[in-house]
Formats: sequence, structure tokens, C-alpha cells
Amino acid sequence: MAAGPLARGCCDRCPRAVAGAAAAVTAPGAAVARRRLMKAAVFPARVGQEMPEPGSARGNADPSGIGFADAGQLPRAISGTVIDVSPQVLVLGDDADTQRFTLTPDVTTWRGGRLDPAALRPGDHAVLRLRTSSRHTIDRIWANIGRVTGVITERSGGTLVVDEGATRRPRVVSIQPRAFGRIQVRFPTLEPGYLIDIIGVHRDGELDGMIPATSQPAYPASRLPHPPLVSGHVPDAIRGSATWHEPLEEPSSVLGVCYPALDPDTGCAEDAAGRHSHGYARMPYLAIGSVLRVTNECTGLDCTLPVTGCAPVAKLFNDRCVTCGTSPRGRIADLTLASFVALGGELEGGCFNATITIGE
Amino acid sequence: MLTAVREVQIPLIAALMLGACSAKLLRALRTWSVDAGLGPTALFPMRMRRPLAMVFCAIECGLGIGLILTAGRFGSGPPANCIRLGAGLMFLVATSALIELRAVRPDVGCGCFGDFSTAPVSGRTLARAALLAAAALSTIGLPPVAAPKPGTDTIRLLILMVTELVVLAALSPELGEGLIRLGYSEPCELRALPTERTLAALHRSKQWRRHAGLITADAPTDVWRELCWRYAVFPARYGDRDTEVAFAIFLKPRRPTIHVAMVDALTGEPITWPAPPSTPADARDRYGSRQTQHVAG
Repeated sequence: MAAGPLARGCCDRCPRAVAGAAAAVTAPGAAVARRRLMKAAVFPARVGQEMPEPGSARGNADPSGIGFADAGQLPRAISGTVIDVSPQVLVLGDDADTQRFTLTPDVTTWRGGRLDPAALRPGDHAVLRLRTSSRHTIDRIWANIGRVTGVITERSGGTLVVDEGATRRPRVVSIQPRAFGRIQVRFPTLEPGYLIDIIGVHRDGELDGMIPATSQPAYPASRLPHPPLVSGHVPDAIRGSATWHEPLEEPSSVLGVCYPALDPDTGCAEDAAGRHSHGYARMPYLAIGSVLRVTNECTGLDCTLPVTGCAPVAKLFNDRCVTCGTSPRGRIADLTLASFVALGGELEGGCFNATITIGE
Repeated sequence: MLTAVREVQIPLIAALMLGACSAKLLRALRTWSVDAGLGPTALFPMRMRRPLAMVFCAIECGLGIGLILTAGRFGSGPPANCIRLGAGLMFLVATSALIELRAVRPDVGCGCFGDFSTAPVSGRTLARAALLAAAALSTIGLPPVAAPKPGTDTIRLLILMVTELVVLAALSPELGEGLIRLGYSEPCELRALPTERTLAALHRSKQWRRHAGLITADAPTDVWRELCWRYAVFPARYGDRDTEVAFAIFLKPRRPTIHVAMVDALTGEPITWPAPPSTPADARDRYGSRQTQHVAG
């Protein structure tokens, strides 16, 4: 497992790329810090042990002392609108605020498929991953990438309406004819009631489905199989699949994780809507503001992240991630886009094999 | 000796087939979907999975019953050999299908025993299927099985049967899952306990009574849960300072362990509790061994 400077680097925030991101991050951050302070007061010794890396640069900036990202550091994952692109430089931002990044010949770019970075168009929405060695040099670019994960509610030919949960608006995904065969191999039942998880390219407010992000569970969403039982105490480290979700209403630079087993008494809107109260993976109950260490087993990067929401759809999947080896069944973390990229995940891959550590 | 080994295979294979069929049926009844068990049917298009799963289950059941019925003199000869050949071929096909499944869908379990077979297909699963194929084919041409004579023959058969069962258990990833289910009790981290019950337990506690004088509201300002603990924060006033009292309540229905601390409402800095009474008896009462109090700061 990679730790130290490399791991800390993955946690860097992006304070400028998206307008208003910092303000949006502050409020939940304060709530998280407040709960941590209370917990530290009740269990001084225990929380003291949980504070790793006392010499970390993040320690002073983070009042909770957890080791979250420091907004003053240079970002690792950035998103924004492409203003201009040349073979050597990519300009990202808007008319008021722009950032310039260096393009090298080995930069890989994705927009529905691999393409040359110079083929990016002004107006494309790009997600960048910067190199750890040089924070002005691009490592990877995804343009207009989107993902729809949810329950199919309507189908008309190759167009599907997908319910992503009670707190999100229904999404429309159009499966491209050239991708239909590939998607149907992994999602044979494109019928209402069944789960779908597709990655594609945004176009005119819809998503052009290009890649199946996983294999379709054989059951309809309403008939979730019983999860495997867990005996004794739940281990502190839990292995499974970590996925990502589109930011939609939240700022795209937020670092956090949607956790599939929030305390039922938390008042999660999904539970209130009377949908699925339990998920497939048997996981210990946590709350908004709880802290997890998420490790990407494929890259070795790890990062301490706060729980920022529930994962109403991710918890319905009993799939495995096979990015590097075969993970245990079940989605254990639904990461924000920035967290997923910062941890070294490949967005078009859909998932990485992950270990989450609770209360370390 | 070799004949005895061959004789043991028939009841063992029949029992395994009927057990596998029952496990699949149980799963189908619970999920109302016969194709939800997956396994090698995942290799086929969706529309074919349901009929294939049903056919496979029916074949297993039929062969299991057939093996038992034709073990003795009834149906001996060609009918018995046909059923044994069928069982052998079924396991051969299953072995090939599992090899293919492992390559094409490494995330899918074999589904051999319904819910118990969710682990991805491994070398053990393949070895078991191959072993059963060999065992079933070895029974072709076996004369009608007679009841063993009490004494040495019975003991020898029992030893053979137990040995083979141990080998099959070692090759079965389902065994661990079954053992977990037998002795299952829900860990506290996974136990759902309503907030109301936690707060009721808190209100009955000695810790609450001791600090109730400081607390200025009945309802907590924040309640959250982490693992086996639920935290409740109440507004309080200590002297001329606005404070907050945080309780951590262990999640068990009766007499939970409770920890408590007081912090400044504005800064969050821990505040030292009022000095405890001076007499040893009072001190024992105040800092009981069961419900510990942390003096913060």
C-alpha cells in the first residue's frame, strides 16, 4: 500500500477549477469536524490513535486533525470546460478564471474512445488527472464523460429512462447502435425494473451510452438477494468494488464517498422514500461525517475521505470489480468523481478493487 | 476393495445431486426467479437462462432419484448404466462449463448449491466437478448393490464414505458459508437499533442523571452512529458558559456502556467537569466502574 507523500498527494483538492466549490465544501466539512471534535472529547485516546501522520502537511490546515485534503495544496484531479487546446497546452476554466496545463505526447485522452488531446474541442467538459511529480502536467484527460447507474423505468428502442434514486432526477441514456451489442452482452435485460450501469458521453443533456460499466445483476432491483452473513465482529478493513458517480448537483471537485450502509435512523432520503433499506454488502452502519480510508488496490494509492452521502443505487449491485484480480461481491464505496480520479481510478473502467478501513 | 469404492459413489452422488437441486429450488422459491442462481447459465443469452436453469435442475433431480432407484436389483443392467452414464456426462459438461465460466465471467459463482455457491469458480470447484464425473463414470457396469454385512464390510464402507466426504468438503467452497449460517449472530456493527431506544436507555442511565442539571434541552442537537456506538449531543450550560454534553452510548438493548464529555459550544474545546465529591463513597458512586466518565481537558 502506498502511503506517505504519494498518498497525501492524491487527496489534494481543487479550489479553483469549479466556481463555488470551496464554499460548498466548507459547510459539510464543518459538520464533519464538529462531530470529530465531539468524538475526540468522548474518546480522547481512541481518536488520538486514529490521527495518522502527525507530521503531515495537512495537519495544521485541518481543524479536525483527520488528515483530509488541504485546499491550499495544488490539485490532483481537476474538472472544467476546455477553453483552448494546442499540442502542448490545454486551457481549462471559463472567461473569468482559466488554468493552463502542459500536455505531453504520452497523455491519453478519452471521449467515447481514445483520441489525440489536440482533438478536444472548446466547450468540452474535461476531467483531468495531473501528474504527482508536476502539478501543471496532465497525466490523463476524460472529455464529456458521464455515467448512468440506476433502475430502468422506461425503454423505447435504444433509449432508456433510468431512476438514480429519490434524490436525483431521472436520467435519459441513448445506447448508440455501434455500442448496442457490447452493452447487451453485459446487460442482457434492458427492461424496466432491472439495474443498469453505463458509461458514455454527454450530448445535449442526455448520455450516449458507450461502455457497460459492469455486468448486470441477474435479479430485478426489487428482488435483491440476501447478502452473505458476517460472523463475529465486522473486520475494520472491508474489500469490494469502488465506483464513481457523476457530480450533478454537487461541485465536481468534492472529495468524499457515498457509503451504502448509513444508519437507517440517519434520515437518508432514499430510506424515507420507502425504497431499499438494506444493500447487498453487509457493512457496518456509519453516518454522514464518518471517516474512511479508501485504498485503491490496483494502484496502491489511499486517501482518507469523509462519508458525504448514502449510495442508494450502488448498494443494490452485487457485482465484483475485476480491474485487478476479482474483488469480493458488492459495492462498498461510491466515490465522487474527483476522489475516484485522485485515487488513480480510470473513469471509463467504472470501478477499482478497493479496501475501506473504518476507525483505523 | 475397488468394488466397495464404486458402490459408495452411488449414494454419495445421488445425495449431492438431490441436495444441489433442493438448494436451487429453495433459492428460486425465495427470489421467485429460477434464473437468479446464475452459474453456467450466465454463459447463455438471458431468454435461455430460465429454461436452461429449470432443465438443469430437473435433470439433477431425475438423475439423483434414478441413481437410488436403480442401485439395487430394480432396473439393473442397461437402465442403471444409462442413468450412471448420464450422471457422468452431466458432471463432464458441468466441468467444461465451469472452465468456460471461469474464463468468461470470473465474478460469477458456480451456483451449484444455490445461495451457498456465490464464490467465484476456483480450482477447487473445478476439481470437485471433475472428481464427481470420474466417480459417476466409475459406477457404469457395477452389479446391483446389496446391503453390506454387519461387521467389517459395513465399517469399511463407512470409512470409504467418510473419506470421500472429507475430500469433497475440502473441495467445496460452500462449506464455509454453511458453517457461518449455522452459528450466526448479528455483530453489533450491523445491528439496527432505533435512536429512540438508545435515547431511552441514555435517559435511564446514571450518567444522564448525574449531568441532567447541566443539560438545557430534552432533545439532542445532533445524533449519529458509528459502528457499535451512537453519539448524542445535548446543549448545556456550565456556569456562565454555553457548552455541549456529548454522550457515546454502546448499542445494546439493555444497560449500555456510556461515555460522556463536555465541550465549549463555540470552540469545541473540552471542558473539565466540576470537581468530584471528596468522600471515597461518593467518588465510587460518581465514577462507577460500569459507566465510565472521561474527564476531558
